[in-house]
Parts: sequence; C-alpha cells; structure tokens
Amino acid sequence: MSGATVIRTAAWAPGIETEDALHAWFAAPRPLAADGHPEAKFLPAMLRRRCTPLTRIMLTAAYGCCDEAELGSVRTVFASRHGSINESIDLLESIAAAARVSAATFSHSVHNAQAGLFSIAADNRQASSSLAGQEDSFPAAYLEALTLLQRSPKQKVLLVMGDVPLAATFAPLIDEPPASYAVGLLLAASGKGRRVDIDLAPGDETVASPPWPAAFELLRWLHDGEPRLIIPTPKRRWIFTAS
Amino acid sequence: MSSCKLAALGMANALGGNTAEIAPRLFAGESGLVERRNAVPDRAMYLGEVRAALPDIPGQLARYRCRNNALSLAALRPIEEQIRACIERVGRHRVAVIFGTSTSGVSDAEAALRYQRQHGDLPPGFAYAQLEFGGGAGFVADYFGVTGPTYAISTACSSGARALATARSLLHLGICDAVIAGATDTLCNLTIFGFSALQAVSDEITNPCSANRKGLSLGEAAALFLVTRESGGIQLLGVGESSEAHHMSAPDPTGAGAEAAMRGALADAGVGAADVLYLNLHGTGTPLNDSMECAAVARVFGLETPCSSTKPLVGHALGAAGATEAGFCWLALAAARNGELPLIPHRWDGVRDPEIPAIDLIDGRRRAPFRGRPLVATNSFGFGGNNCVLVLGGEG
Repeated sequence: MSGATVIRTAAWAPGIETEDALHAWFAAPRPLAADGHPEAKFLPAMLRRRCTPLTRIMLTAAYGCCDEAELGSVRTVFASRHGSINESIDLLESIAAAARVSAATFSHSVHNAQAGLFSIAADNRQASSSLAGQEDSFPAAYLEALTLLQRSPKQKVLLVMGDVPLAATFAPLIDEPPASYAVGLLLAASGKGRRVDIDLAPGDETVASPPWPAAFELLRWLHDGEPRLIIPTPKRRWIFTAS
Repeated sequence: MSSCKLAALGMANALGGNTAEIAPRLFAGESGLVERRNAVPDRAMYLGEVRAALPDIPGQLARYRCRNNALSLAALRPIEEQIRACIERVGRHRVAVIFGTSTSGVSDAEAALRYQRQHGDLPPGFAYAQLEFGGGAGFVADYFGVTGPTYAISTACSSGARALATARSLLHLGICDAVIAGATDTLCNLTIFGFSALQAVSDEITNPCSANRKGLSLGEAAALFLVTRESGGIQLLGVGESSEAHHMSAPDPTGAGAEAAMRGALADAGVGAADVLYLNLHGTGTPLNDSMECAAVARVFGLETPCSSTKPLVGHALGAAGATEAGFCWLALAAARNGELPLIPHRWDGVRDPEIPAIDLIDGRRRAPFRGRPLVATNSFGFGGNNCVLVLGGEG
C-alpha cells in the first residue's frame, strides 16, 4: 500500500463548473453530460486556438488545482483513456481522402498534447508523464503520480484525469457512459491534508462500478469522508483508503 | 537513489527479430533501413521495418489482434520462459506491465476505417482494445495472465524511457515485485504522413550530427524488459526528466531541457559525467535536435565521452525509441568483457557541422576500457517537450 496527501482538488464537467454545482452533484450524483467544454480563458489566445475540447477541460481542472507558484513548480501526470484518439481518427480520414495531414493537427494529436500545452502555458519545466490504462486509467494515474513523488518527494505532483466521448465510429465498441470531464488532484508525499492510500486486489465481477467516471467517484468519496473506496474494473479491484 | 535489475531483454527491430540477430549488426554499425518510394506521394524515404514474420495473436486474445501487439509478442517470445518463471515465483497479481507507445494499434485502425468506408461497418471482430493507447499493455498482461498495475505511458518519443522509469519506481513503492516494461511502436500512415507534413523526414538514411543532415528516418521496434528488485546484473541506476515549456513539435534550441534531464539522471544515479563510458544520443538527424543536443551534451559531458545515435541503424521508432536504445545500452553492457565495453558506431557521412560542438562520435568498431562498474546513458526527447534520460550500469 502506498499513498499521498491530497492538498487540493478541482473538477469540470458540463453543468458542474462551480464549487456549488459540484456540491449539488455530491448530494445527488448522476451520470455526467456527454458534451461541452469550458472556454479556458486563462490560456493565451494564440495557444487556446489550438486547444481541443479535451485540452480545455483538462487544463481547466489543472489550473483549478494550483496557485500561481504551483503552476510552474509541480510535476505533472495527465491521464486519459482515449486522449486525442478522435483527432487521430480525423487525421486518418484526411490521409485516406486527400493523402495529406496538417502538421499542426498532427503534433497536437499526441497523447501528451495536454501535458505539453500545460507546460508551455504555465512555463512549467518539471517532469511530466501521460498515460492510458483502459478501464484502469484513473487508478493507474494515481499510481503514476506516486512514482513521481517517489523520485522527488519534495515536489508536489498535479494529477489530471479527463476524457471526452469516443468518436461515433468506435463508441459502440466500448461499455462506458459517455462523459466530458476532468478531475485534478494536487498531491504531496506528506504534509497537511487527507492521506489517500491505494492498493489493488484481484477482480471480483460482482462489484458494479457507478455510471460516472472513477475520478468523480473518488471526489464524491473524499467529500463524504468514508474511510474506504473500492473502484472495480474488469480485472482488478482498486482499494483507496483515507486517513 | 534506488535501482532495479533489467533482468532480461527481448527486442525486434530493423536489425533483426531477436537480440542474438541484432547484437552483431549493432556493434558493426549496419543499417537495417530500406528505401521506400511509395510511402507518401512524390517523395522517397528510408524506413526501418521489421522484416521477420510476426507471430499470430492467440485466439482467446483476438480482441488484441494488431501489428503492434504481434510485434510485442515477437520481442517477448525469446524471454517468455524467464518471464513465466518469474511470475511463478512472485505470483501473477504481483507482476505489473508498463508499456510505452505512441501509435498503439493505429496501423490496424487505418485498415478498419478503410473497410468501414467500403462496407458501412467496421470489420467483424474489430475491438477497441486493438486501437486504444492502453491496449498494448493490456495485451501483454492478458497474454501472461498477470493482474498487477497495467498501463501505457505515452509521452511521444520519450515513452519507452519513461516506462522503465515507472517500472523502477513501482518496484521501489512495493506495489509489485516484477514489471514487464518497455515499448512497442509500429510504422503507420499517421506518423509517416505526420512527420512528412512537418518536413522532418530525410530522403536519405538519416545522417545525425552531420553538416549534411536532412531529417529523420522512421522505424518500428519493440524492446521489452523483465524488471525486478534484485541486485546484480544490469541495473537501471538513474532517471532524469524535464519538460521544455517551449513548443509542441520543436525542441528548445538552447538545449536547456535536454541538459536538465542529463544532469538529473547523473545526480539520481550518483555518478559523474566522466564516469559514463558511452552516451546513446537521441540523435534524430533533424537540424534542430542535433544542434541543441550536441550543445547540451558538450555542456554536461564535455567533448570526450564517446557518443552515437542508433537512429541510422533502425530508424526513429518514436514511442519505442527510448526502450530500444536502453536495450542497445543493455546489449553493450552484457557484452562487456575483460574491462572493455564494446561501443556502438555512429553511422554517418563523417562531415562535421562547424555550428555544433565536436563531441566524440564513435567511428567504426571501438571499445572503452573501464575499471569497476561500466556505466552508460541514453537520451530520449519527445514532442510536447518531454525529456527522459536513463543511466544504466553493468556488472563491476
């Protein structure tokens, strides 16, 4: 079992754009809306122009977790099951139709696009990781954040998990409620705040997962103050404990 | 400082389908790149293709059937017994899979979309697991039946190096007892057209650090390690990481980010620059990468440390490059004998660029004498300004 201290959290989903709206959701959690994105006006206009809905959502959660000094000094983990796959599909269609792609669209379709744009916008030169882990993407992101804390325990780590619905071509292939969202967690190796440990156990197919993203379920759990949260995935049970 | 053992290595790339085929060609500085005139319209390029026949994905794992996973399986086959013995020893719930990739199964998604245009539906049996970024990790985990943490790191061209860094940290955290870690990327239209659109692809075999360099050559590769907490053997000793806050597809021309990552790796390993016998360059052959990298190398290591880029031998395997080059370093350390480390030649036209520092680029077959433990390092710099440098050590 390993863990970190949660210093601050932030979230964004369509209609859940303020602290009050988030608390209303905690009181009556329900599936998130599929479509929508924030303007992300804190980004310079030049940069914002290139930002996809997913980038705007994830960077909104990122900026919501950090003060000015933290923006430039945190190490980062950006996690997304689907990432920029919708943009990659568009690029493939463009190759099939016209045997060409846009250089800028290509370079912004890498899975670490959000990490790269955050680094540029926030002038952040720290270590950064981007990942995807199928149905386990959020717990995997928490572990990845712990690996960054392990390598540099004095630096805070900003974890951002987010997704947008998968393009219509592939959406029927997965069993996942479509949602546009991001959750940010600012973590430290120790110090003031809730300590959240993570462990995993073999899967148990009888445990159902809620019809909203695991990262939102973790926020709800943190707010409710229960000691233990189990996030079930097809192969594993992830066990979060708070103290 | 924490280290871990790189206990076994399986590889496939343009030099061969396993380490026994690859090693002699690597130390001879042979190029496995071949000219392709039809990859994009009106332009020739050299590609590092894996020519070995790839194994079939077993039927019960059909939802993972794609070239990327077949390439992973080809690389893993020669070390499968070692991996299974390790799983037997520590238990399948204690083995993690950390897998770098930038393409995942995109090459097969192209075919699926083509099929859909003709038939209106995706091909029968097409599954999202073939395409999604995390699918390559899921395939390896399911193939071995392991259920430890399983995910893909995708930070463009530093993905493979970062996967090894994560493996070491997960072992240190105690969340698992062994990790199958490394990376696989396959050639696909997305990257071939994308890098062509960026004007980054040479029409010759890539010629890193030369005054005549014209860009990169793309390749495909798999390099997967069994990583354990054991002492001895070849160890991952240091990790250095940085972001550039500069540009999505171009490095900071000052090399400040590259320099920070190299210094970080040396500090993490607790060694000095002069202790490193060989540095594997990122060395893509693009004008900007090589000038900023050589400047940064000269600031950190001076001009005496033997260096080479292996991109002219296998091409730039993008997400798999960092793991492949860590693999080449592993092969060099594994071949160290009698206080001498075989070095990997820098294959180029030999024309120095007067604008960049004259670092020691390894001409032909050379060996570096050492006392104590031999140390090597490898640079990986990715899109989005994501840098990762690894320091590896052999048996003293």
